[in-house]
Amino acid sequence: MKAEWQLAWRRFAVMLVKELKQLGRDRVLLAFIVYAFTADIFLAASGVSLSLQHAATLVQDMDHSAQSRELLSRFQPPYFRMDGAVGQDAAALAALDQGRAMLVLSVPPQFGKQLANGQPTSIAMQVDTTNSVLGFLATSHAQQIISQYGLESAMQRLGIGANAARDLPQVQNNIRVWYNPNQEDSWFMGVAEMLNIATVFAVLLPAAAMVREKERGTVEQLIVSPLSPFGILFPKVVSMTGVILCGVALSLFLVLIPVFAIPVKGSLLLFFVLSGLYVFTTAGLGLFAATIARNLAQAGMLSILILAPMLFLSGAWTPPEAMPQWLRGLMYASPLHYYLDIAFGILLKGQGLADLQPAILGMGGIGVLVFGFGLLLFRRQFD
Amino acid sequence: MNLQRVLAIAGKEWREIVRDRLFFSLAFVVPALLMLLFGYGLSLDVENIPFAVVDHDHSAASRDYAYRFIDSRYFQFRGYAGDERDAGRLIGSGAVRVVLVIPPQFGKSLAQGRPAAIQTLVDGSFPSRAMTTKGYVTAINAAFSLAAVAQAVSQASGLSQPEALAQLTPIALESRYLYNQSVSSIWSLAPKLIMVILMLSPPFLTALGVVREKENGSIFNIYASNVSRGEFLAGKLAPYVAISSVNILLLWLLAVLLYQVPFKGSLLFFLPATLVYVLCTTGIGLLVSVLVRTQVAAMIVTMVVTMIPAVLYSGLIIPIVSLGAGAHVVAQLMPAMYYTDIVVGCFLKGVGLMSLWRPLAVLAAYACLLFAIGYHLFSKRPNS
Repeated sequence: MKAEWQLAWRRFAVMLVKELKQLGRDRVLLAFIVYAFTADIFLAASGVSLSLQHAATLVQDMDHSAQSRELLSRFQPPYFRMDGAVGQDAAALAALDQGRAMLVLSVPPQFGKQLANGQPTSIAMQVDTTNSVLGFLATSHAQQIISQYGLESAMQRLGIGANAARDLPQVQNNIRVWYNPNQEDSWFMGVAEMLNIATVFAVLLPAAAMVREKERGTVEQLIVSPLSPFGILFPKVVSMTGVILCGVALSLFLVLIPVFAIPVKGSLLLFFVLSGLYVFTTAGLGLFAATIARNLAQAGMLSILILAPMLFLSGAWTPPEAMPQWLRGLMYASPLHYYLDIAFGILLKGQGLADLQPAILGMGGIGVLVFGFGLLLFRRQFD
Repeated sequence: MNLQRVLAIAGKEWREIVRDRLFFSLAFVVPALLMLLFGYGLSLDVENIPFAVVDHDHSAASRDYAYRFIDSRYFQFRGYAGDERDAGRLIGSGAVRVVLVIPPQFGKSLAQGRPAAIQTLVDGSFPSRAMTTKGYVTAINAAFSLAAVAQAVSQASGLSQPEALAQLTPIALESRYLYNQSVSSIWSLAPKLIMVILMLSPPFLTALGVVREKENGSIFNIYASNVSRGEFLAGKLAPYVAISSVNILLLWLLAVLLYQVPFKGSLLFFLPATLVYVLCTTGIGLLVSVLVRTQVAAMIVTMVVTMIPAVLYSGLIIPIVSLGAGAHVVAQLMPAMYYTDIVVGCFLKGVGLMSLWRPLAVLAAYACLLFAIGYHLFSKRPNS
C-alpha cells in the first residue's frame, strides 16, 4: 500500500517537473505572464478612474455680473475643470463635437438682475452624454451647486442671513463610505484586474497544455505510459495553479501593496488558500475546452467563449442588481463572482472564514461539479 | 508580388479554416456572442441599489424621509434593520449597499425648526458605484431638506408653500443632453462594443493562424518554396480579414436592429473606415505571431495586448479626457481610441470624413507601420 503511494507520488513529481520545464522554456510566454501580473495591473490601477473628475467645462457668460461670476466660480475641481470661455453657440458646439469639452454652461443676460429682483431665471447646460453615467453625474453635481447658490441668494434677499442657517430645519446628511473611504479607484481596479488576469491564465494555461499534447501527438506517449488519466491531468493543473499563485503573489507584493497602498485587512494565508482553490476549480473549465477541441486554435476560441461571460458576469463591471433578471441567475454560475466576493472580503473588508462561508461554498460547489465533469469527459476520451 | 501565388496561399488558408468546422463557426459565433453578452450585461447605470434603514426615531418625519428613498427608482428597499451592528453585517455581506441611519429626535428637531443630521453608510468596495450612490443620496436629501426649509419659511412669512419653494429656488437648470438624448446606456455602449470586439477577434484569429503553421512545422513548406515574404503574408492574412469583414456587417446589424441604435452617419464612410481598423488590429495579430513561437503564447499575448487597452484605454468606460496623465499617453498610442472617435461619430453624431479624417489617417498609418514591422521581422531563414 505504502509503495503504491510512493510510486504515485514519484510519478506525480516527474510529471510536475515536466510541465514546469515545458512552461519555463517558452520564454515569451513566461515574460508575458510576468508582464500581465505586474505592468498590466499597474496600468489598469493607475490611470483609470470611473468617476467624474475634472470634467472639461466651457463657460458662455452673457451677463458678466457679480452673481454670474460667483456662481461660475463654484464649479471647482475635483469634479469640474474650467477650460475658459466661449463666445458663440457655434464655437461651443464645435468644442463638444470634437470632444474638447464635456459641458458648456451658458448664463443668460440679465441673470444677475433677475436674481436680485427675485424673478425666476435659469442657467443652460449642454452635456456630452456619450458616457451616460458621467453625463448624469455632471448634471447632478451642477444641479447641486446651482440650487445651493439659489438657496443662499434667496435667503439673503428674504433677510434670513447666512448665519441664521442653523435656525432652519435643514437636514445634514453625513455620508460615510466604508472599506474605501477616499473611493480610490486604484484599489478596485487593481484587485479586479488581478483577479481577471488570474482567471484568464487559469482557463488558458491548462487547456493549452493539454491540447498541445494532443496536437503534437505526444499524448500517445502519455497514454502508453502507466499513468492514469488523472495522473496525466492532475500534475498539469497543479503546476499551472502554482505558477498562477506565484503571479498573484507577485502582483500583490510588488504592485498592489507597495504602489497603491491597498490595505490587507484579512488573512493573506486564507486569501492564497482560497485563490488556489479558485484557480484549481477554474482550470476545470479549461479542461472542458481541452476535451472538446482537437487543436489549439479551437481551444483558444472555446476558451474565449468561456472566459468572456465569466469575466463580464462576475459583477466587477456591473453589479448584480443592475443586471436583467435572467443574467443575474447566470451570475451565480460564474465562479469568478464568488471569488470576487472572497478577494474583496478578505483584502478590503477584513472578513474571515465565517463571513465568507456562502461564497466559499458556492465556489467550491461549482468547482467540484466542473472539475469532476471535466475529468469524466477527459477520461472517456481515452477509453 | 505575384497575384497567382497570393491567391494560392489564400485559397489554401481558406480551405484550412473552412475544414475546421468548429473553428470556422466560432470565428463568427464568438464576436456575435460577445456583442450580445456585453450589450445586455455591461450596464454602467447605477439603479436598484439595495438599501436598508435604521430608524431610531419612528416619527412621521423619519418615515417621510425613508419614503423619499423607497419611492426612488434608484434605490430598492430591503427592509428596516434593527441597529447599526445589523446594518454593518448587511453591508459586509453585500446584501445592501447603502444604510440610512436616522437618529432619535430627528422629527422633533425639524418640527422645532432646528437642523437635523442623518448618517448614511455606503459600501465603498466599488468606488465608482459609491460615487454615483453618493450623488443620488445627496440629491434626495437636498430635495427633502429644501421642502422642510420651504415649510418653515412659509410658516414664518405667510407665503404659501409652493410659493416659498419657488422663492427659494430662483435658478433653474436647463440641461440638454447631446448625442444621446435619452441618456440610455446601450446607445452609447453598442458602437463602442463594435470597437472592442474588432480589437479582440481579428488579432486572435490571425495570431493563431500564423503561429499554428510555425508550431506544426508546415511553415517549412513555405520557407522552402519560391513564395516571397510579402506574398505569403498577404495570402495568409486575406482570409482572416475577409472573416472580420463579415463580422463588421454582423456587428453593425446587431447594433442597429437588436439594440436599435440610430445610425446617423454614412455607411459608405463607416465600412471602409472600419476595414482600415480591422487591418490595423490584424496587423497586431501579425506582429504577435512573428514574435512568439507557440500558440499558447500567441493566445495569451494577444489577449493581454488587446483586451486591456480595448476596454480601459479606448473611451469605452472612461472618456479619454478624464484619464490620468500616464493612461492618457497609453491611450494615444493605441489604435482603439482613434476608432472610438470614428464609430461614435458615425453612429451618434452623424459626422463623416470631414471631421474624422484625422483619426482615420492615424489608423491607416498605424496599419502600415504594423505591417511594415511584421514584414521586416518575418524571415524565411529563421535562426533557430
